[in-house]
Amino acid sequence: MTYNIMTCGVGGQGLMLVSNIIGLTCAEFGFKIRTAETHGLAQRSGSTYTHIRVSTDETIYSPLIPYGEADVLLSLEAIEALRNIEFLKRDGIIVLNDYIWYPVQSTFERVKNPEIKYVSINEILSQLKKITDKIYIIKAMDLANEAGNPLTSNVVLLGALAKTNGFPITLEQLKKIIPQVVPEKAIDANLKALTLGYESI
Amino acid sequence: MISDVITEKKNQAFLFCNEAIVRGALESDVKVVAFYPGSPISEVLDTFFQISDKFGIKMEIATNEKVALEIVAGASMGGQRSLTAMKSVGLNVASDTFFSLGYTGINKGCVLVFADDPYCHSSQSEEDGRFFGPKAYIPMLEPSNPVEAKAMVKEAFEISEKYKTLVLVRTTTRINHQSTIVPLEPLNRTPFERKSYRAFNMKFSTVGSKARELKLLMLERIKKIEEEFNGSPLNTIESGNSDIGIIVSGISYNYVKEAAFKLNQNPSILKLGTTYPLPKIKIKNFIKDLKKVVVVEELSPYLELNIKALAKDVNPGLEIIGKESGDFSEAWEYNVPIVMKAFRSAFELKLELEYDDILAYANNLKSILPIRIPVFCPGCPHRATFWALQRAIMEKSEKLAVMNDIGCYSMLLLNKDIYSKMHPDDLLLAMGATLGVSSGISLSSDEKVISLIGDSTFFHAGLPGMINISNNNEDVIVLVLDNSVTAMTGQQPNAGTGYGPGGKPKNKIAIEKVLEGMGFQNIIIINPFDTKKAITPLKKALEEKGPTIIISRGPCALWNDRNKRRRGEKIQPFYVDFSICRKCHTCMRDFYCPAISMESEHKEYTDDAGKTWTGFSSHITNELCDGCGVCSIVCPYTNHEARSEKDVIKPYSKQREVRHDL
Repeated sequence: MTYNIMTCGVGGQGLMLVSNIIGLTCAEFGFKIRTAETHGLAQRSGSTYTHIRVSTDETIYSPLIPYGEADVLLSLEAIEALRNIEFLKRDGIIVLNDYIWYPVQSTFERVKNPEIKYVSINEILSQLKKITDKIYIIKAMDLANEAGNPLTSNVVLLGALAKTNGFPITLEQLKKIIPQVVPEKAIDANLKALTLGYESI
Repeated sequence: MISDVITEKKNQAFLFCNEAIVRGALESDVKVVAFYPGSPISEVLDTFFQISDKFGIKMEIATNEKVALEIVAGASMGGQRSLTAMKSVGLNVASDTFFSLGYTGINKGCVLVFADDPYCHSSQSEEDGRFFGPKAYIPMLEPSNPVEAKAMVKEAFEISEKYKTLVLVRTTTRINHQSTIVPLEPLNRTPFERKSYRAFNMKFSTVGSKARELKLLMLERIKKIEEEFNGSPLNTIESGNSDIGIIVSGISYNYVKEAAFKLNQNPSILKLGTTYPLPKIKIKNFIKDLKKVVVVEELSPYLELNIKALAKDVNPGLEIIGKESGDFSEAWEYNVPIVMKAFRSAFELKLELEYDDILAYANNLKSILPIRIPVFCPGCPHRATFWALQRAIMEKSEKLAVMNDIGCYSMLLLNKDIYSKMHPDDLLLAMGATLGVSSGISLSSDEKVISLIGDSTFFHAGLPGMINISNNNEDVIVLVLDNSVTAMTGQQPNAGTGYGPGGKPKNKIAIEKVLEGMGFQNIIIINPFDTKKAITPLKKALEEKGPTIIISRGPCALWNDRNKRRRGEKIQPFYVDFSICRKCHTCMRDFYCPAISMESEHKEYTDDAGKTWTGFSSHITNELCDGCGVCSIVCPYTNHEARSEKDVIKPYSKQREVRHDL
């Protein structure tokens, strides 16, 4: 069985760290893995995504998840979850950061007409719910602050992901890999962030 | 991870494909590497940048891809194994030398990895670089994943050395940007040793009669390689149970395997790893008894046309399903659904695929979705420069033509609504093309021409165009956006940065000195972060006749942040004092920093004169602000020169760690 994890966010949120931790955990604990990543435009504030496909037995060929076949959608930012919704299967799981990073293009529209509102989390949620009810909304920023480092919200969400049904990798396995990946002084905060995320579900 | 690229302890590691390519070169004992960065292959450079010193590898970040190829060709001629990697359009730049190298050959193993970019993720065209192989008579290998990419880099060194020819390894974005678990072999590095060029007694000249002689040798060489490729394990046949066969190479192989599995089909598959010269005998044997062959390849029908020609000899009735049959497109990338759709008709399957419905339903859900296009980062000098330029051109907008070029500033084009007065979508062609085209427009049209070029592009492909402008005294303003690094591709140093691989100091080339040497009289340097003061020189330039150079010099924000972190410096963000904000939105309008958004609640402020201001305040997101302070210069209610409590936008009292994820 191949387990498909679609992850997405905004450039600069640390999406690559999430796929790196998952990938290194797979290498360490005997899973197969293939990812398709967005690199290239180094700028912040653009849409980013990573397709992650994990398997215990069968060979994974396509790095891209076919439409409607992701078991879980992990989104570091709410708008981006909807942007990648075609990848999630019906009744799949969504792990969603309770956070919107307003695109500059929306601010541009509001400057022209201030009465236009930014899109809200509730509006996004009502669309996502047309695909699935299994949506976990995580206050990742708050938990990251609680962990002692506001930059660890990506790892908070990874912790939540580890708790979801069917996710093939265990919390303990992730804990073993994180110290190899993050800077030494940030290890404790990241481990705490992972646990706080895990416990938030 | 770098530590996995260089490990001698593991027998496998989770590697990004561009890292796997580096590992392959390391295992091949590569001695000299040279690159110009370009997505999707920049990380080959970035990885070598960090490790070249440790392994005694001589590395240069070359001014452009042509120079990079010449460096590695020269190193090979001088007796060292060498490698370069470039993006598709980079090979266009290198092609002049490339074609000659087909004639002369090389000495020690010399490998050129090039990456095509179907779907133009980060390129100006999605050209099919596979035609470079046959056009230059230079052999070409094509991996389908990171494991094969590493193995083929190693094989390429062997072929290169055996036949004394440059060898191409061709990837595409979806291969370069894939990570998977890659088997590792020992590094077995040997120390760097200088060799004697004379002692090799080899010649590399081609012209006239010499070229005619070499052409025959080149044809003979490629014939021998084709014979070898007919038996090469890089071309594999998976036997199936139908009279329909698949021929495929590169990334499409993955889609073919998954599509066939999903449709419960078991066709024979010929996977080609050597796509020039093609293993013609192997292909002929594969197709001779088939009823139908499906050719799956992104972009141009390169394999398909060759297979059609071969079928004429061995199986004229063969039905070929591909691009000419209308089953596949020459445009954009493929994926599993696209291949399944083509297979459904090829295998005459009567089943419904849901993919179109899923996409249509998702698109419907997305109707509320705001667009999110990459923009200049918080703290980016370009945003500040363009703010000043917009002010300077205010009434002259319709009398201007703006020629864009390749770099971060290209993003003006993506955000053409925001920067509409600047006509940022007038033109964008290729590295440095802005200059020659500007000359042509200024010769032909009434409009004043502003030509944009970045520092790295200036060194890469700007010099001939610049000399031409000076030499012909063209009426062109060249705005050099100098952020001191090659920012777009990941902030690699260039000739103007002052350091190279491993952080070692390099001779720093000053753009203004180069331009002075070219004979430009009118060169002005502005500081984009002192953005109001930058308006006057820009205005003046618009009124002058003849060539004017404006160099806007300010460091790339991401690069600057990284340097700050290294020095242990923190960022001091700014904030909007919403209690006195006049809700005029000036800081947002025409500036559009991602750190600034509009509040969602109406607020009111009555100033000392009794005037009441109502509306939505601006808001600076603390975590995003880079502390450049330009918005506080733009704000009409802030005195940035004598900061006080009366200012609407002011520095936040707390400093913040520079982000770790840059």
